[in-house]
Amino acid sequence: MDLDLTSITDNWRYLANGLGLTLLLSLATVAGSLVVGGAVGLARCYGPAWLRWPLVFYIDSMRAIPVLVVLVWSYFALPIVTGWSLPPFWAAFVALTLHIAAYVAEIVRAGITSIRPGQTRAALALGMSRRQAVIQIVLPQTIIRMLPAFGSIISIAIKDTAIAAVIAVPEYMKQSETVAGQTFRPIEVFTCAMLVYFLILFPVTRLIDMAYLRVAHLGRS
Amino acid sequence: MNAAIQAELQAGNAVPPVLAYENVRKRYGSFAALDGVSLEVRKGEVICLIGPSGSGKSTLLRCTNGLDSIDGGRILLDGTPLPTDDKGMRLVRRRMGMVFQSFELFPHKTVLANVTVGPTTVLGMAKPAAVARAEALLDKVGLADKAGSYPANLSGGQQQRVAIARALAMEPEVMLFDEPTSALDPETIGEVLTVMKRLAEEGMTMIVVTHEMSFARRVADRVVVFERGAILEEGPPRQIFETPQVTRTKDFLSHLGWEG
Amino acid sequence: MNLDWSVVWQYRGALAEGALMTVVLSLATMVVAIPGGILLALMRLSRSRIASTASACFVEFFRNLPILLLVYWAYYVMPVALDLRLSGFVTGLVALSLNVSAYNAETFRAGIGSLRKGQMEAAMALGMSRWQAMREVILPQASRRVLPVLASTWVSLFKDTSLVSVIAVGELAYTAMRIRSQTFRVLEMLTAMAAIYWALGYPQAKLTDWLNRRFGVTE
Repeated sequence: MDLDLTSITDNWRYLANGLGLTLLLSLATVAGSLVVGGAVGLARCYGPAWLRWPLVFYIDSMRAIPVLVVLVWSYFALPIVTGWSLPPFWAAFVALTLHIAAYVAEIVRAGITSIRPGQTRAALALGMSRRQAVIQIVLPQTIIRMLPAFGSIISIAIKDTAIAAVIAVPEYMKQSETVAGQTFRPIEVFTCAMLVYFLILFPVTRLIDMAYLRVAHLGRS
Repeated sequence: MNAAIQAELQAGNAVPPVLAYENVRKRYGSFAALDGVSLEVRKGEVICLIGPSGSGKSTLLRCTNGLDSIDGGRILLDGTPLPTDDKGMRLVRRRMGMVFQSFELFPHKTVLANVTVGPTTVLGMAKPAAVARAEALLDKVGLADKAGSYPANLSGGQQQRVAIARALAMEPEVMLFDEPTSALDPETIGEVLTVMKRLAEEGMTMIVVTHEMSFARRVADRVVVFERGAILEEGPPRQIFETPQVTRTKDFLSHLGWEG
Repeated sequence: MNLDWSVVWQYRGALAEGALMTVVLSLATMVVAIPGGILLALMRLSRSRIASTASACFVEFFRNLPILLLVYWAYYVMPVALDLRLSGFVTGLVALSLNVSAYNAETFRAGIGSLRKGQMEAAMALGMSRWQAMREVILPQASRRVLPVLASTWVSLFKDTSLVSVIAVGELAYTAMRIRSQTFRVLEMLTAMAAIYWALGYPQAKLTDWLNRRFGVTE
């Protein structure tokens, strides 16, 4: 098996652009899903009763439907229904955010319910309002407990951006596909892609794990 | 200790030690858990190890059946040093029974299965024979009617009695008890101590790490007081509890509220 | 917007076959990945430095890669490396198995690790070898704890089979999208695809919730 690395070196700029887009899309997705997921999770715990049912339906639907399906539907079917035609990047952003936000919502809910009711009672006994109790006592502990899951969210987001290649978003996976097709050197290009993804993903989870060990005691009550 | 052995001793005949500890040492980093412990245990003797927490009593027990390794000295079983390889140690463990503070019954097996697993898996006994032995032992500890129950449905005292039966099923030469009643409710301690007392009367060689001073007083042939990884004093219960030779022994006992 | 939903009914046979393929692929992957995961977990917990490190590397590597990439990589590398022309199904199976085995390895390792040390000690005190202790005491208990997590992994796997569509394996996603190309009924087919995945996946998710309630351990 002769390897020709020029397929990678000649096209490094093209691939690097793809990598940049991967990171951008991942970041945007993480931010978006934290906002949406956080809101949904909080609404499930503290919101009005009539809201629970639609939110649970949304969360369970995202558990049942693959990312690929949501992605493809957002890009091809959404324009037909709404008349908005989203460019590939934004279609991917919307689809990935919606999908991952459901996961975030569940983590937030699990985090909040893991805080013993005694904590809230103690806060109220001090004279805090319910709102103050939640914001100052419950949420900070929830956030700390969520840290390990946070690493997992980033990891999932980065991995899922690769699926955006299917709707021709020029992120790293798509660029690799293109280069592999043009140079007829899929083994070198895809092996390089594996190393690149691993080198990005592995430190992310490790760093979060390390950070969590430092602050874990703050979330134990 | 049973009458036959007592008779031997009174006749002045030497009874060979079952277990001999020669200058045993064990360290955890810079901490000396065992600091040169020497002790002999004769066949049929009941030895109680007492002393403050962290003084090395449980460590000595765990080194005896190889759950922990020693860093210096020797432990001899029937005159032969304990083997250092896995296979050898496994064979030795068949000759010793261990009862844990947390019982450690296997929750996914019935009481009967807990007692038969040793003979069938380790000794290669046929199922019917193992079951017969198990039923006899469960009857002996007073739990014959619980054979089909699961550990979760038993009280602490009942679980510990099953644990004793499980260890006895291997027909060991020595029984090692690691604080057998420390995790029990006061009401159930008695039933376990009764079983242990009967075992002693039948002539089983027993080493018991315990805080139950009245048990040590009534059942032990010798009491060994530990402090900081070494033996502070050893002797018959009468000596230790009534006329301790070492001041610190007296201090330790009075701390426990032992009036003598 | 003129919609013709009858297309879905018309192609119901093909869609059913696609769904069946999804199920078969998922089952086949689990058949490989459960023993694979147990093996990797035991290697990781063994006292052999080599086995432990090899397992840890395998697990970390395959957990930190997008599945889509694994699918493409398997598709291009395997024929060259093994000098065999393998079907899309087998290629997809290999890619998914590598990924799911890695996840299962962590699941089993955590399950085994969650048992109290005393259980192993009690087994060894009876004279059992490590392997006998594993077989009689540790693995049976770990299996119970591991069940809810395996169910979650299954639900994810079921969804991830859709990624194998990119190498033209006839599971549900590929089938639905192929019909879309043939009939130009984009909204109908894509919505039907989502609906079928929903219909299949929703009960599975609920079953997983039930398993978590029933077997989840809170110590």
